[in-house]
Amino acid sequence: MSFLEFLETRSSDMVELGLEHAAVVGLSVLLATIIGVTLGVATYQRARARGMVLAITGAILTIPSFALFILLLGPLGLGWPPTVVALTLYGLMPVVRNTITGLRGVDPAVLEAAKGMGLNRRQRLLRIELPLAWPVIITGVRVTTLVLLGITAIAAIINGPGYGEFIFTGLARVGTPVAVNLVLAGALGVMILAVLFDILFYTVRKLTTSKGIQ
Amino acid sequence: MTSADSHETRQVMIRLEKLTKHYPGQQRNAVDGLDLDINEGEIVVLVGPSGCGKTTTMKMINRIIEPTSGRIILNGEDVTRTDADQLRRRIGYVIQQTGLFPHMTIGENVATVPKLLGWDKSRTDARVDELLNMVNMDPEIFRHRYPKQLSGGQQQRIGVARALGGDPTVLLMDEPFGAIDPITRDRLQNEFLRVQSEVRKTIVFVTHDIDEAIKMGDRIAIFKEGSQLAQYDTPEQILTAPADDFVAEFIGRGASLKRLNLSYVGDIDPRPWPTVSVSTSIAEARETLRNAAESALIVVDEAGRPHSWVSPEELNRAGEGSSLKEIGQTPRAIVEPRATLSDALNELIAARYAVTLVVDDTGKLQGVVDIEQINDSIRSMRASAVTEARASLGGEP
Ligand SMILES: Nc1ncnc2c1ncn2[C@@H]1O[C@H](COP(=O)(O)OP(=O)(O)OP(=O)(O)O)[C@@H](O)[C@H]1O
Ligand SMILES: [Mg+2]
Repeated sequence: MSFLEFLETRSSDMVELGLEHAAVVGLSVLLATIIGVTLGVATYQRARARGMVLAITGAILTIPSFALFILLLGPLGLGWPPTVVALTLYGLMPVVRNTITGLRGVDPAVLEAAKGMGLNRRQRLLRIELPLAWPVIITGVRVTTLVLLGITAIAAIINGPGYGEFIFTGLARVGTPVAVNLVLAGALGVMILAVLFDILFYTVRKLTTSKGIQ
Repeated sequence: MTSADSHETRQVMIRLEKLTKHYPGQQRNAVDGLDLDINEGEIVVLVGPSGCGKTTTMKMINRIIEPTSGRIILNGEDVTRTDADQLRRRIGYVIQQTGLFPHMTIGENVATVPKLLGWDKSRTDARVDELLNMVNMDPEIFRHRYPKQLSGGQQQRIGVARALGGDPTVLLMDEPFGAIDPITRDRLQNEFLRVQSEVRKTIVFVTHDIDEAIKMGDRIAIFKEGSQLAQYDTPEQILTAPADDFVAEFIGRGASLKRLNLSYVGDIDPRPWPTVSVSTSIAEARETLRNAAESALIVVDEAGRPHSWVSPEELNRAGEGSSLKEIGQTPRAIVEPRATLSDALNELIAARYAVTLVVDDTGKLQGVVDIEQINDSIRSMRASAVTEARASLGGEP
């Protein structure tokens, strides 16, 4: 069976796994963004806290994904919960780093002017600093998304959702003709999602960034 | 009545009492026990060498820098410990780097303080338009632009408009025109003085440029190291009677030339000059020039604005069919009534006919100024300064 024929016969699986894959990545990215931006906002003004949060979220990224999924198996069981937790943890670093970079990159003169106009701490953060840091933050979110799309494929070892199922089934049948098709289909699916997410981020970034700083 | 008397009768808007700032880790106080009264409606310029504490002093007034000790009294109220954000909404703030919010339009930037003060939309919009017009920026063109789409001079104008947003009584300006090319700076200074003549704010203006201080200040506070006041007086008095060697050295040479910066073209009556309209025929123009004592004619357009200079040679060379529109030379030396005599003199030196054209705000020709008129003005200024200095000598017990 050629690869194209294989795709045709498994097209409904392709779509279903794709939706799962996108959903679990989308949810994890959302959580990582909320937690990551919060951590960034809480620490960007203090050198010690900043260094610590970057070191910890960076260290998480070095844990092999296989190991982390299996470690979470005990407390969280199989399927979605350990997958989402692991992905969220992996997704923190790019978001935190870019949030801190973005907030620290705001022109001090702009901040001083904002202070001089009488904007309080909260107003300065919400109306000036975060909007100005936003293009940098969303770039971090985009990197996180790409990283998580890849890692999600591994989550199939704990019955996680997504294209990993194709890849691991292929792995189990190495040597048979269908194995190559399964792995190829999984990889292709992830790549298509990456392209789609990229288009999405490009659009969101365009729409949510002020024309004054594009 | 001397100017010193009139200041005493005016109400004090900002009073600094024993104001002191000590930065952690520094040996000396950046500002040390400064007492300073600033009257309502006047521009006080803080000037002095780099590092003498001008910026620190100014920023303590809106508590961007918190004083170590001493008091700040604003319009009779002690604001040393009040809510800083509330205080700042009552005080306009302009900085050299402008600090415009790059992600907001010009309109949104100017609306910042009105929004903080909770003004409704129609009042805010009207205020934005009023302020943009005031700083010579057409609201229709600029309201929806972003800061990056403006030149440096335009950005600084918006900085001033934004600072005036909430109609504050006090305006703090830290080297607002410091990063701008000399020609634009001059124009912005003139424009700002025009705005001030309308709004009459109490202004604290920081600069390290004594010429700017003389031009902008109703009174000048000259600082030495550590915010020690070397002299606090009107520009005229500082130029005529510097308090000590430090002040004299700081003013530098050419105090008399600097005094030219204190009088305005509007203070002297422009002299008339033979003028013809562009629609005049060449023959008539020749006739006018023949009957005039001067050696050239000024051609004005339909609105009375200077269009060109024509010389007798140019009139003779022109054929009967040609029009005054096509011959002659564009005038370069043109000043407005708000320009200083120094500006006028500058223009005049480079001018072709040794006169500077004076136009009103609409660009309409008012007459000309020549070197004789400027000379007369210098003489009378010197005479009155000497009288004043004598009077202050005599007044001492
Ligand atoms: N944040 C700070 N921390 C420590 N020292 C400071 C700080 N800001 C200013 N200083 C010191 O305080 C003194 C006064 O500084 P200030 O900025 O008020 O000077 P200035 O008169 O505005 O000078 P300039 O003309 O260069 O702007 C200087 O000696 C400066 O080094
Ligand atoms: Mg300074």
